[in-house]
Amino acid sequence: MRTALHLQDADAFYEQLLDAHQGLSREASELLNARLILLLANQVGDAKVLQECVEAARRLPE
Amino acid sequence: MAGSYAETPVTHEFAQGRGYVLPEYPFVPPPEIASGDVSHQPIVIVGGGLTGLTMACALAGYGIRAVLLDEDNTVGAKGASSRGICYTQKSLEIFQRLGIYERIAAKGIQWSVGRTFAGKDEVCSFDLRQQSGYNLSSQPPFINIQQFYIEAYLVDRIRQLGHVDLRWCNRVTAFEQSNECATLTVTTPAGDYRIRADHVIDATGSHSPFRKWVGASVTAKKGDDRWCIADVRFTHRPPTERHTWIEAPFNENRAVWQHLMGDDVWRIDYQMPPDADPEYVSREDVVRDRLTRQFGADCQVQIVWVGPYAYRSECIDRMRHGRVFFMGDSAKVVSPFGARGGNTGVADADNLAWKLAAVMKGRAAPALLDSFHEERHEAAQQNVMVTNRTARFLRPAAGVEKLFRDAALGLARQYVFARQLVNTGRMAIANPYTRSSACEPAGGQSVQNVGFLWADGSRGTVNDLLQWADGRLLLLLFGEASPHGLARLRDLAETAPLRCVQVAGADDRVAAREHVRDPLGHLQGACHVFGHAWALLRPDSYVAATGESIDATLVHALGKALGAALEETAR
Repeated sequence: MRTALHLQDADAFYEQLLDAHQGLSREASELLNARLILLLANQVGDAKVLQECVEAARRLPE
Repeated sequence: MAGSYAETPVTHEFAQGRGYVLPEYPFVPPPEIASGDVSHQPIVIVGGGLTGLTMACALAGYGIRAVLLDEDNTVGAKGASSRGICYTQKSLEIFQRLGIYERIAAKGIQWSVGRTFAGKDEVCSFDLRQQSGYNLSSQPPFINIQQFYIEAYLVDRIRQLGHVDLRWCNRVTAFEQSNECATLTVTTPAGDYRIRADHVIDATGSHSPFRKWVGASVTAKKGDDRWCIADVRFTHRPPTERHTWIEAPFNENRAVWQHLMGDDVWRIDYQMPPDADPEYVSREDVVRDRLTRQFGADCQVQIVWVGPYAYRSECIDRMRHGRVFFMGDSAKVVSPFGARGGNTGVADADNLAWKLAAVMKGRAAPALLDSFHEERHEAAQQNVMVTNRTARFLRPAAGVEKLFRDAALGLARQYVFARQLVNTGRMAIANPYTRSSACEPAGGQSVQNVGFLWADGSRGTVNDLLQWADGRLLLLLFGEASPHGLARLRDLAETAPLRCVQVAGADDRVAAREHVRDPLGHLQGACHVFGHAWALLRPDSYVAATGESIDATLVHALGKALGAALEETAR
């Protein structure tokens, strides 16, 4: 799993993500997130990287 | 899919349905009752279902004596005429070796296309014939047939072959084992008796009493998913394909399975609300309402059988306990998705039968029997994992599990990649063995029953070669053979239970007396090797090992496959 910056334009992506959720109900937002996770996971593909990402997401900062 | 695991003891055969007339076998008072003696048997098989009968038939084929005890006097589940319906290519290849394949093919329905629907839309489909993993065997990818037909064919075949004493209405009520032997107490209509055995095969099914008798530990998981099967015949003729609905509009957006089997009987399997009352969901008017919603009011439906069921997943932690070998549902129980129940039992039996036969004939060391657990427990665990994943997709927990299923189904309608996430059952395969003490790391893979040409140009199959080897290991030597290598093989075959065949490609020179031609490379491909190589095949059509030259590695692999350390005799 990459932990150094890989995004070409972090601020733009973050804004795009927030904009995508604008005006959505909580349920629609959750569905969007779930769809996005599956779409992005398919871009990654690599099983080990995906596993590390899932584990990292579960590990909240102290 | 197969509703093989009715835990709910409710089954109905509607009087107006034709149902099935199952064969009945006569009870013959066992000789032990008249003599009062306790007989001693090399092998006792308990349970005359699909697994136990396959075991009995395989042993009979190897000429090994056994006694089979069944508590019933017929085939088919008690009170239920229908159980598993879907038989894999590997099972069909095994049945071909056992001599009942032709009858299965004549009665059953071949299929290879599966389609999955969500709502009104088809979201994905597959055609197993287009997949290279299936298309070279002499047997089709799948045949659907009522389980009791196969069981009845096995009984007929066992009677033909002899060697196995089939004892109907013989129920085992107690068991104990010691260093000397196992002792079973058996109840029959003519009285009780006791029988001793060197080896006991537990094929009694998911409610095995042996688990408790030997103190076996079991890893289990139970869910709240409920289903109700309607086996029907009707005027309407759907395509001969496996259709599955994840969210069927005609079943309150729950799942539905639709599959054809022998006698034009369709299995329609409906997912019910969690913890649905089995009595209610299987009531005739309720079943008819469901069928009408799916097929329309003008469709004439004849109900053959109705069976509500719940499933659980269970896997015994050790498949061998002393003299007792657990197989089929005794060893593991899974949901029916993907046909991983009965087919696994058939493979369990085929795995142990040749090993027991080899040990009884003095061809292999008793240590080989431990590889049964190593190999088939790996298969059982794999099948439990795969079926649990399917069950989780079909019955997602409320909340985030349902959310991800909605996301996956939506994406599957739009993008190809997401179709792979839609899981209505991953069809059973011949499980590979990666941690067996009897296989080298490159071995442990099943070999399909592909064709080749005999020396005279006529067509043969892998099963023909296995039959010729008659329970011995079979060494296939691909490509040209050196005189030195052939001499070494001849020596090996004189000391070990081994038969050797040169498999020549289109342009290879033939050097061995025993040789066949593989002009299309199908046999070589099926053995998972390339170029000049050898493959060591076991009687269950698994590769034990592969290699390149005829040297000590082959001798080592041969010993391993026989459960012994083998030394090449000095020349």
